[in-house]
Amino acid sequence: MYAQPVNKVPTRNPLIKLKMACKANVYALCVVSRFSAAIVGGYIFTAVFTSLLSLILPLKKSDAVLLSISLTIFVYSCVFIWAFAVKSLKTIWITILLTSSACGLSIALLKDWL
Amino acid sequence: MIELLQFSLCLLAFNCFALAKFNHYRDVFKTRPSQQQSQWFLISAWISILLSLLLCIVEHQGYGGLLFCGYMALSVLLLMIFYSFKAAWVKYMSAVNVILLVISGSYIAIY
Amino acid sequence: MKESFFRSMTWMHTWVGLLVCWLLYLVFFAGTISFFRDEVTLWNQPALHSLQAPQERIALQREQIIAGVDYLKATAPESGRWGIYLPTEREPQLNYAFEKPRPEGRRFGGWQDYYINPKTGESLQQPRETKGGNFFYRLHFDLHYIDVRTARWIVCFASLFMLVALISGVVIHKRIFKDMFSFRKNKGSRSWLDGHNVSSVLALPFHIMITYTGLITLIFMLFPYPAMTAYDDGIRGFFNDVTPTNVRTKSSDVPAPLTAIDNVLDQIYTNWPNADLTRFSIKDPNKASATITVRASTGTLVRDQTPTMLFNGVDGSLIAKSVDEYSSTEVFYDSLTALHTGRLANPLLRWLYFLCGVAGCIMIATGCIMWAKRIRERMKKDQKASFGLKLVEGLNLATLMGLPLATCAFFIANRLLPVGITQRADKEILAFFITWLAVALFSLFKRAKMQWYLLAWVNAVACVSVPLINALTTKGSIVSYLLNSQWALFSFDLVCLVCALLFVLQAKKLRTQLNSPAANTRSNRVNKNSLVEQKG
Repeated sequence: MYAQPVNKVPTRNPLIKLKMACKANVYALCVVSRFSAAIVGGYIFTAVFTSLLSLILPLKKSDAVLLSISLTIFVYSCVFIWAFAVKSLKTIWITILLTSSACGLSIALLKDWL
Repeated sequence: MIELLQFSLCLLAFNCFALAKFNHYRDVFKTRPSQQQSQWFLISAWISILLSLLLCIVEHQGYGGLLFCGYMALSVLLLMIFYSFKAAWVKYMSAVNVILLVISGSYIAIY
Repeated sequence: MKESFFRSMTWMHTWVGLLVCWLLYLVFFAGTISFFRDEVTLWNQPALHSLQAPQERIALQREQIIAGVDYLKATAPESGRWGIYLPTEREPQLNYAFEKPRPEGRRFGGWQDYYINPKTGESLQQPRETKGGNFFYRLHFDLHYIDVRTARWIVCFASLFMLVALISGVVIHKRIFKDMFSFRKNKGSRSWLDGHNVSSVLALPFHIMITYTGLITLIFMLFPYPAMTAYDDGIRGFFNDVTPTNVRTKSSDVPAPLTAIDNVLDQIYTNWPNADLTRFSIKDPNKASATITVRASTGTLVRDQTPTMLFNGVDGSLIAKSVDEYSSTEVFYDSLTALHTGRLANPLLRWLYFLCGVAGCIMIATGCIMWAKRIRERMKKDQKASFGLKLVEGLNLATLMGLPLATCAFFIANRLLPVGITQRADKEILAFFITWLAVALFSLFKRAKMQWYLLAWVNAVACVSVPLINALTTKGSIVSYLLNSQWALFSFDLVCLVCALLFVLQAKKLRTQLNSPAANTRSNRVNKNSLVEQKG
C-alpha cells in the first residue's frame, strides 16, 4: 500500500538516518493535516455554508432549514473528497479558511450580529 | 403477479446487458457476438429495464421505485452466480425467465 | 496528493475504509438484523407466538381503545402516562400499558405492559423480559455501554467515512459495467476484490441511500447550526414550528375527570375516515393538564412523520393536528428518514432491503480481508508481519467471526436464561458481548487460517443450536411454524439454518485450503499494478 515509505535500505550514516526520519515524519504530518482539513475543515465549512443557505434560500423558514440540512451531508462529502483530490495542502487549508470566513461574515451581516 | 412480471423484466434486462458483452456472450454461446447482435441485446435490455421501472412506478409510485432498486440487486446477484459458476445453465435460466415473464404478463393482461 | 487523481482516490478509499471498517461492519450487521426487528422481538417472546391476527384488524381498533381506557382507568388511575398500542401487521399483540411510579429525578418511570390477544380479547401471559430486535436496532447507532451522544458522534463519522469510501469506490472502479457479473474464484486476493466489487455494485443505490439517509436521521445532532441560525429561539423553535403536535405541556396536579373517549374517537374518524391507528396515549390522565395523542400508520407511503392528533384530555377539544398537505421540501426531508427506517416495507421489499444489507456486510468484510490478504501476498518469505497487519487480521477475525457467534449467543441466552430473573434483558445482552469478547481474546493469540476454520465450525454449531434449542424449550419448532403458517417465526429459524450451512461451506473450503497450501493462490507474486485493475 502507499502508506509506508518504500525505502528500506539499511544505512549506518546517522545524517542519512536523520533525514529519513524527518521525511517519514513529514509524510505522517501531511497525512494528518490532510485528514484534519477534510474532517474538521470540512465540518466547519459545511456548518457555516448550510447555515448561510438556510438564511438565503427563498423558501419559508422551516423549509429553508430542512432543505439546507438535507444538503449538509452532500456538501460535507464533496469537501472531504476535494481535500484529497487537490495536490497542495496549502491550497486546501487556505480555501477552506477563506470560504468559511466569508460565509460566517455573511451570516453575521444578515443576522445583524455585527 | 405484477411483482413477478416486474422482476422478470428486470432480470431479462440485465441478462441482455450481460449478453451484449463479448466475454459473457462467449461463455454462453461459445462464439463471438457480431456487432449487430450486441446492438440488439443492448436495445432489448434498455426497453426491458425501462418497462420494468415504469410498471413499478405506475403500480406503487415511490414504493415502486424502492422495489425496482431491490429487483436490480437481486437480478445482478442471480446473474453473477450463473455467469461465474454455471455459465452452461444460463440458457435454461433465460428460458425459465422468459416463460415466467410470458405467464405473468398474460395473467395481468387477462385479469 | 498522489501523482494522479485516480491514485489519490484509491489511497483515500483504502484508508478511509480501513480506519472504520470493523465499526461499520457492526453497524451494518446490527442494522440489517433490525430490518426484521419486530419479527426478532416476536421470536424472543414465546408467550406471543400463538397470536393470530384477526380478520378485521382495523375495524376492531375503536373497541380496543375504549376497552383499553376502561382497563387503565380501573388499574392505574394515578399513573402519569397511559399508552394503548394497537396491533399492527408485524406486531400481533394488543398492549395496554401505563407508566410505573416515576423515581426521583427521572423523566420517565418505564412502561408496565399488559398484553391482550386481539382475536379473543383474553389477557396474555406476560412475555419474558427481553429487548429482542430493539437491541440490534439501538446497537447500530447508540452502540452499547457508552454514552449515547458519544456513540452517535462516532457512528456519524464512521458513516461519513463510509459515504466517502462509496463515492471514491465508484470513481476508482473504472470497469464498473464490464465487471458487473465477474467473479473469479480461487485467485487469492483477486477473488476477494471481485467479491468486494460485486457486493458493492449490486446494491450500490441501496448503499449510498442507506448511508446518506442514516446520517440524515442524526442530522440535528451533527449540524444543529442551520436551525440555530435561522430561528431566534434555536432548535426548539424550529421543532415547534415543524411538528405542532409535539408541544410539551406542563403537568399539573389538579384532578379533573377524563373526557368521554367516544367523543374523541368520533373526531378522529371524521378527520381520517379509514385510519389505521397505531397508538393512543394519554398524558396526565385524570388531571387538569391531560392530553391525548393519537397516531396513525403511514402504510406504504414513503413518509416518516406519522399523522398525529393532539386533544385536550379534559374537554376533548382538538389542540393540534399534523399538517395534511406538506410542502415539497418537507416531503423530501421526511422521505429521506422513511427510506432509511424502511418501516413502510411490506414483506417482499423488506426481504430485498435485508438482501441489500447483507450485501453491505459482505462488501465491508471482503474489503477488510482483501487488504490483509494483499499485504500477506506481497510479503517475502522470511519477512515478519508488521504490527498493523497483525492488528488488522486480529480485528477481522474477532469482528467477522465474533459477531455472528455473539448473535447466536444472544438468542440462545433468550431461550435458556430463567424467565423470572432480574434484569433479564440486560443479561441477554451481556451474553452477546461476553461471547464477542471471548472471540476477540481468542484472536489475540493466533489469527491464521486454522483459527478461521475453527471459528467457522463453532459458528455453524451455534447457528444450528438456535432453532434446536428453540424446539426443545418452547412448544413450537421450525416444522410447526411451517405447518401453522407462522411465517415470521419460520423465516427466523430458516435463516439460522441457512447461516449454519454457509458456515459449514466456509469451513470445508478452509479445510481444502489448509490441506493444500501451495495450490490455493495463483497470484503469489503480486505486482504493484494489480491494485489498479487492468486499465481500460
